[in-house]
Amino acid sequence: MGLSRREFIKRTAALTAASYVGMNLPIKESGKAEASDGTTWHRGTCRLCGTGCRVDLGVKNGKAVALRGVTDSRTNMGYLCMKGMLFYKLMGHPDRLTKPLYRASKSEPFKEISWDEALDIASKKFAESVKKYGNDSVAYYGSGQALTEETYIFQKVMRAGLQTNNVEGNPRLCMASAVGGYITSFGADEPIGSYANLELAKCFFIIGSNTAEAHPVLFRRIMRRKLDHKDEVKVINADPRVSPTSRIADMHLQFLPGTDLAMLHAMAYVIIEEGLTDKDFIENYAVFRIGKDKKQVDFEEYKKFLKDYTPEKASRICGGNITPDKIRTVARWFATSGGTVSLWTMGINQRKRGVWANNLIHNLHIITGQLCKPGADSLSLTGQPNACGGVREGGGLCHILPAHRLVKKDKLRHQVEDLWGVPRGRIPPKPGYHTMAMFTAVNQGKIKAMWVNCTSPAQSLPNCDLYNKGLAREDFFLIVTDIFPTRTTEYANLILPTAFHFEKTGVYGCTERRSQLTKKAVNAPGEAKPEVWIVREWAKRLARDLNDPIIARTVAPFDGLEEDFALPEAIWNEYSQKLTKGRDNDLRGATYEVLSQMADGVQWPAPTREFALKGGTVIKFVKGYDPLATEHSKDNKPYQFYGPAHPDRKLWVWLRPYKGPEEMPDLEYPFYLSTGRVIDHWHTSSMTGRITELMRANPYAYIEINPEDAKRLGIKPGDMIEVESRRGKNLLPAKVYEGPVKGMVFVYWYDQAESRMINKVTKDAYDPGSKEPEFKICACRIRRKSGPEPLKPFLVEL
Amino acid sequence: MERREFLKGLILPIAATALPVSPVRASLFQSPIKTNVLRPPGAVPESLFASKCIRCGRCAEVCPYRSIVPRDFLETGVNAGTPLIDVTKVPCYLCMKCVEVCPTGTLRPIAQQETRMGLAVIDRYACMTWQEGEFMLCRTCYNVCPFKEKAIKLDELRPVIIEEYCTGCGLCTHGCPVTLENGKKAVNIEPIYAFGKVRKE
Repeated sequence: MGLSRREFIKRTAALTAASYVGMNLPIKESGKAEASDGTTWHRGTCRLCGTGCRVDLGVKNGKAVALRGVTDSRTNMGYLCMKGMLFYKLMGHPDRLTKPLYRASKSEPFKEISWDEALDIASKKFAESVKKYGNDSVAYYGSGQALTEETYIFQKVMRAGLQTNNVEGNPRLCMASAVGGYITSFGADEPIGSYANLELAKCFFIIGSNTAEAHPVLFRRIMRRKLDHKDEVKVINADPRVSPTSRIADMHLQFLPGTDLAMLHAMAYVIIEEGLTDKDFIENYAVFRIGKDKKQVDFEEYKKFLKDYTPEKASRICGGNITPDKIRTVARWFATSGGTVSLWTMGINQRKRGVWANNLIHNLHIITGQLCKPGADSLSLTGQPNACGGVREGGGLCHILPAHRLVKKDKLRHQVEDLWGVPRGRIPPKPGYHTMAMFTAVNQGKIKAMWVNCTSPAQSLPNCDLYNKGLAREDFFLIVTDIFPTRTTEYANLILPTAFHFEKTGVYGCTERRSQLTKKAVNAPGEAKPEVWIVREWAKRLARDLNDPIIARTVAPFDGLEEDFALPEAIWNEYSQKLTKGRDNDLRGATYEVLSQMADGVQWPAPTREFALKGGTVIKFVKGYDPLATEHSKDNKPYQFYGPAHPDRKLWVWLRPYKGPEEMPDLEYPFYLSTGRVIDHWHTSSMTGRITELMRANPYAYIEINPEDAKRLGIKPGDMIEVESRRGKNLLPAKVYEGPVKGMVFVYWYDQAESRMINKVTKDAYDPGSKEPEFKICACRIRRKSGPEPLKPFLVEL
Repeated sequence: MERREFLKGLILPIAATALPVSPVRASLFQSPIKTNVLRPPGAVPESLFASKCIRCGRCAEVCPYRSIVPRDFLETGVNAGTPLIDVTKVPCYLCMKCVEVCPTGTLRPIAQQETRMGLAVIDRYACMTWQEGEFMLCRTCYNVCPFKEKAIKLDELRPVIIEEYCTGCGLCTHGCPVTLENGKKAVNIEPIYAFGKVRKE
């Protein structure tokens, strides 16, 4: 089943063939050569990570046959990773769900039903629950992989139709802490700069991110920068585990998990002690704040606060290989580089103190003035293709409405109600359940009907065994929309087959505020339908079953539109023209017409068509670059921090005390457990696991153990290891490898096999601010169970 | 394996040795070792293997991954019943159990890192990352290598094998996403150590 060489040459790029026979075709001509053999190329965005790579999908005789990178794109410049190159194989995959499936009881087998029946059941169950148990007994749990149009229309029907704010999504598990960090530090969500800074940076501070495996295409850009300017550019990698990312680092800081807050403070201490701060920048743009009541303090207070975090003390807290000298060196590099870009993902976000950790990174940027300048940015990388665009901007979390509006702010809520044409008071003023509270409510029987779209909480929630008990309840009705069977469809009553990427039309918004359009290029298999159609038809039935014409009004503007193009466009127009107007993510210029013309996409704010056609705002808050900064300018300073959350228009430096992880190793559970990704697989591997080439490289997850620990415990490579926490256990083969720091083990979380689902073991404590769980750190013990065993890859089947 | 079948398999090779040198006879002595088809770790050179191995099957039996498969006894030739690893099917995970159970020293008890089943060779015409002007980032072979950074390194994201450390376990070959028409991969294990000369004492 491998990719044969003939296919590879023929499909992926005639270029390969050209170079093989000694020709050198420019890439555009190779595209023409391809077209002549009947393949047409359709532009879109990669379905997988949050980098936002642009791809061309090759279609021949109505079938997807290849993917290639778009060289004009400013995100990937034509490069693709193996996942991005191969996901076209999922379009015609034999495992695809093609018919609505229903079962009244979770113990029965599924039977195929028609769409009419399926939508009637979906509507009846939600209506019943609302009538009997109230509006908050129903919930929607979405995804950072759903298109913006889908998240938007789902939450519109839930909030204005069913009058509940129980709208959540898996980005809560992924980047809620980054949102909290940006809002509390900068006053507005999402990064200030762009990827463009990667080619200008003099110093990279990569913390809590294995960029090399999780964002391979971005890592190539960082690596290129480093290799082309070996002495000029410094790379700092801070991670308790030596990962492929550490390989290009000039300095690898290996601390004990959860101690990085002390290290970041110590870096700030050194920067101030050695006078490396940017005094002008601080004076003009920063204030210092402490505590829950955001009390403003002065610079001296901050200095006094940092006295507690001398490099000497921090290195004692951090353990690992951290020495005071290393902290000093890194702090000097960071402050004096003339352009530092910080990058982080789940190592910082998935933490009990995720928001604080985010704040402390921003602190370093603020006090050194490493913001708003070329090559300087505090850039949180996204893990999902549309967590930024769909969920953060589209209103896909319980406390936010579209375009960065808070539910609890009456003025903003009424704005949305007016724009939607529903009576004021229709959207409840109280935010709904956040993810962990939502699934706790399912456990407690408070939520009776839930719609899970395009994600698999049964595998991806921390301590998943506990929450799967709730999903298995007979009095809980679960609708799942997905393209493949997952761990979550095992708990479903109703499975609705959906169209995959390139089988429907819509917008993805990636890490750097960039919105990119993907148009339908192939037909969905069987009876699979786009979500926007499903929601519209469902809402009409809800209006009938609940006898509530306002529910019908939420989808009335979209009635009768053809679902492949006209319907998503109408939804996008409502969202971008009405909802984002006057907001910081102004997308009015980014119409489908404009997005179709762009090789890559448009970065917001992009209020006008002309500005959007130039690509939008590369750097926020800078007058002359950001139209909103110019428009909202209050004085003659070059930077205008107009973020809606900070009325004083300043950047806030936070005095956050050091806090360790929730669960520390002890006598009984002496190891730290952390989890992560491998390059070939993505999330719960329901997609990548079905691509043979990727699955054979990583057929099952394993546990990485430091050689010193392995020696002490008599563990040899390949031995079967039981890893157990207070919550659950796994049985995994060992990889003895100088990756994790001594005293820590590391497990990949993609595996769907019952005995290798590491989220049975992880901890469900969460950040009190962002409500994001601390996946990345818990205490566990390990025990050798047996010698090596032949293991088989596993995927859930119906 | 029935006793009768076993004997049948042996008769022809024995008979053949009595014949004058012929193509048939040469094929009976032909080693089955070739690209990606290897002997287990610690194997003596091919010129000795068939005579030293007693076909007890213990190595195949102990192999937890079912990597080692005895050559079919029904196949003719002196190598019938000897152990083989086809790394494109199941590679060797270097658990080193087989070398401990071999009763004859055909598989010598060596350490994991001393194993030299062969040498991984990257086919730069086939490997995606080595194509001029190609925009593919693949690192599978590097990722799965048990001795990464030693036996395999990345030269600006393109894999390079370090001969000194490569054990020839075949994990890279097995993981490689490219399959050529002849069944080979973009990285293959060449059994370069198997045909060394044996010094007579």
